[in-house]
Amino acid sequence: MLNPQRSVSELPKMSAASQVERAVLEEEFNWLLKEEVHAVLKQLQDVLKEASRRFCMPSPGLESQLKQENFILGSSTMDQVKGVLTLQGEALTQADINLKIAKSSQVLHFQFREDKQWKLQQIQDARNHVNQALQLLSSRDETYHFKTGAEVNKLMDAVMLQLTRARNRLTTPASMTLPELATSGLMKMFTPPMPGDAMINFYINLSKLCLTVYQLHVLPPNTTKNFRPAGSSVLHNPGAMFELNNNRFEVSHVHKVECVVPWLNDTLVFFTISLQLCQQLKDKISVFSSFWNYRPF
Amino acid sequence: MYRDTSHKAFTNIGFTLYHVVSREMCLWDVNDGRCIEFTKLACAHTGIQFYQFTIGTEKEGRLLCNGHYPEILVVDATSLEVLYSLVSKICPDWISSMSIIRSHRTQEDTVVAVSVTGILKVWIITAEVSKMQDLDPVFEEESKPIYCQGCQSISFCSFTQSSLLVVCSKYWRVFDAGDYSLLCSVASESDQSWTGGEFVAADKVIIWTEDGCSYIYKLPASCLSASEHFRSDIGKTKEGSIPPLIYKIAERADKQLLICPPVTRFFFGRREPFHKLLIQGDSAGRLSLWSVPDSTPRQTLQVSSTISLQEAFDKLKPVSAGIIDQLSVLPGKEEPIKVTASVYIPSQGRLVCGREDGSIILVPATQTAIVQLLQGEHMLRRGWPPHRTLRGHRNKVTCVLYPYQVSARYDQRSLVSGGVDFSVIVWDIFTGEMKHIFCVHGGEITQLIVPPENCSTRVQHCVCSVASDHSVGLLSLRERKCIMLASRHLFPIQVIKWRPADDYLVVGCSDGSVYVWQMDTGALDRCVMGITAVEILNACDELAPATVDALSHSAVNLKQAMTRRSLAALKNMAQHKLQTLATNLLAADNADKVTTALITFRNTRKQTSLETGGARRGNSSPGGQFAAGSSEVPASPAAHHLGQVCFTKKRLQGQSYRKPSSTLAPRGLQFDTCGLVLSSSVSFQESLLRQLSLATGRKLTLSDIVGKGAYGLSRAVTTQHLLSVISLANTLMGMTNATFVGEHMKKAPASLCGATPPPSPSPSLRASIADISVIKR
Repeated sequence: MLNPQRSVSELPKMSAASQVERAVLEEEFNWLLKEEVHAVLKQLQDVLKEASRRFCMPSPGLESQLKQENFILGSSTMDQVKGVLTLQGEALTQADINLKIAKSSQVLHFQFREDKQWKLQQIQDARNHVNQALQLLSSRDETYHFKTGAEVNKLMDAVMLQLTRARNRLTTPASMTLPELATSGLMKMFTPPMPGDAMINFYINLSKLCLTVYQLHVLPPNTTKNFRPAGSSVLHNPGAMFELNNNRFEVSHVHKVECVVPWLNDTLVFFTISLQLCQQLKDKISVFSSFWNYRPF
Repeated sequence: MYRDTSHKAFTNIGFTLYHVVSREMCLWDVNDGRCIEFTKLACAHTGIQFYQFTIGTEKEGRLLCNGHYPEILVVDATSLEVLYSLVSKICPDWISSMSIIRSHRTQEDTVVAVSVTGILKVWIITAEVSKMQDLDPVFEEESKPIYCQGCQSISFCSFTQSSLLVVCSKYWRVFDAGDYSLLCSVASESDQSWTGGEFVAADKVIIWTEDGCSYIYKLPASCLSASEHFRSDIGKTKEGSIPPLIYKIAERADKQLLICPPVTRFFFGRREPFHKLLIQGDSAGRLSLWSVPDSTPRQTLQVSSTISLQEAFDKLKPVSAGIIDQLSVLPGKEEPIKVTASVYIPSQGRLVCGREDGSIILVPATQTAIVQLLQGEHMLRRGWPPHRTLRGHRNKVTCVLYPYQVSARYDQRSLVSGGVDFSVIVWDIFTGEMKHIFCVHGGEITQLIVPPENCSTRVQHCVCSVASDHSVGLLSLRERKCIMLASRHLFPIQVIKWRPADDYLVVGCSDGSVYVWQMDTGALDRCVMGITAVEILNACDELAPATVDALSHSAVNLKQAMTRRSLAALKNMAQHKLQTLATNLLAADNADKVTTALITFRNTRKQTSLETGGARRGNSSPGGQFAAGSSEVPASPAAHHLGQVCFTKKRLQGQSYRKPSSTLAPRGLQFDTCGLVLSSSVSFQESLLRQLSLATGRKLTLSDIVGKGAYGLSRAVTTQHLLSVISLANTLMGMTNATFVGEHMKKAPASLCGATPPPSPSPSLRASIADISVIKR
């Protein structure tokens, strides 16, 4: 890539860089490939190992040894919904949900069936992406000699792709339509069973574990109201309508409660730091690439 | 590309190729490069396998997909619709790799997969399951931890039907296919990591590494079902007992140039002559093939055949034409100066080419194209076509923009260019004078954008520049200063959007963060991530008319338009890009074909003009039945002119080029353009002749124009050809009451016209005109 012959032959049409300057730059570039890249990779690995540790990978057969954490989900402004969730690794193993229906002032109590637990796919995905990023990094240890800037860029792109996906999984919960929500396995998890006019959803948004409860009312078939089914969304608003099994429903109330999961917050910080490290390394490489005007393949 | 699919497809159906990019999945027609089907799922795929299911005599194709989701999706191979999924009850996690085991004895086929946590999963696909159309999940039959993390590939021994090969990056293992017990495990040598493997024979495996080497090992007796020692050492597998390496397959000499691991696959022919082939493709564009012998060669196996893209390009003769070849080669230099950015200005018929040495060349587009496509005395002239060189950039020009083309609010004289030297230069396109240099960025200029119409007056006279130091600038062409520089972005800029009503500039970065800048004050209003960021970007789309965006980036969207098969988008692209396309892409088989085709043209010329004369009279008749009557009026003079362009260069030059360039009438441009387009297109297809000789009364449909022979000719030409036809029709239709017939020409054909009686419009003629309107629509 840094063919000295080429640089010399292109000298006249290049910018004012002198040959000495060129040699210095070439030396600096070699230093970058040999020393700096590995220093950054080491730093990245350290940060990501920390992040990966937070996810506490379950080893097969030893699931029960994972730490259980309880989170109380509530809101200071309203008390219609209160939930106590137990998170074990990536799965919600227990849930106690108290729901106060506005009209009747009666409190409904639900909990997970003994035999069921709910896997938070977002956490599993984020964990897997981090581990894949770590695998990529570990395949290029100090003994590996990077020969081109393009090679470093390629590795950084691959790592950044995994990290961006890991972060996106936590920052962008899946948006679902209301019928999808109503037919999801989550509805069958509870004892006593959820009433037909309530729906529930769990997800991670940034570092928060969120619980959303939708209260529904059935739209009479001869209603004059304009029926328009709502699209997919993370959080539906009151008034959203949908059709399920020939019944039409409208969301009357939405209650959202949440609780910060501290270790998720840590991982998000780690993701951001490592993404910036990757980008800074790429920027350093690009300084040289634009100077020499070489073809990065 | 998936090997089994494409292999099957080439032999059986001959038209399918499946392709997965992240979340998108496409089905391609390999004959003409068309995308037949396209789907997008919420999650990303990493693997795809073709599986043909037979019910009686009926064969149905299925695709099994794994990826960043804890299940295997079963997709219909023709509609790409998800039919059902194979899910896990125990420890559901992402699937790293999978393999389909076909059973010839029963109707049940087995899917074996390994999850990222190293758990082997087995699903049984029965006839009932394959027929199932509802989304009921299928649970696994068996789930067994085999402690193979980071599994790269899993394959089944088709020779003995009794063992499985699992390749992980640091070791490979052989398992019993019956109870999945470990038979043998081999660790990799120090710095190698395995990326895949396959059974070559009952007792031999081939394993390949990340750096493109392949090794063939002989399996120990405990792995062979035919041996009496089979399964003799289960549970006491010795890590040290490495099976003998039989031989190694030669690696490439210049592998250090690769930027990512090559893709290696082993093919085993199931029919005579039972070829065993190892094929490898790499990032340098090289394809290598080894024929794997059954006998043991003495040393490393040499490559049987190899070819690279570069070699293929080097062999190409004549070299395909570029945009301004004749100006790129400097005397005394071997390498031509490459064109790195270009913009075509239709209103002036000029092509602006920025080059890697920092110069910008202005050339008349059609004359340039004629030089590329047609032979004649002009080829010998030095410095032809007439051009102007703008010098100002000190290094590669990365983008050029002619703002007036996007919006009439800009000065007609201004041409803006950005370069690798961090500068943005404003030029006077008529005088060639450098009007201003903006040096506000700290990185290469990557993009120049025109702000939308409804921005504030101040911003309306700006162009927006994006640089590789992650900064965005608003450069006022009128005030000649940078009115805003947004430079705090940590990541490269991916998208620029506008909210003119709120005076906001919205910058989307590659890490998913969104920065909202106030254009007037230059203050950073917000910086957000996650859902909010996505919502902000989407909100900008809803406000802005999508068409504006689509048109201003025609080059990018041309590809999209084709893959999405949007005729409307194609039409837009066709109008905008026609001439550059014609120049670039149709030029490959230039001179000879053009000339022969033109002879045909000449022969029909007389007849065409006769008919046109008739049609024109019909048009002027009181009835005026021709809604699209004008469409074929210019067509025929175009043919006239074509003759002139192509045969009598002198006459052509006499017409247009003898005039002072300032008075180069648009009519001359249209002459040139139409002549050029017609002659290029005709060289590929006679159907254009038919289109032009509409008046001969032959019925003509779109399929006539683009179908039949066209597809057989060349894959590259097909789409371009379609574009040419559509845009040609558009051009002709667009010129209401236009005529190519100058005063001097009117006289000549008049004598011819006079000889024929005015024919009444035949029904077939009307039909063909309707066909053209269809094209236009």
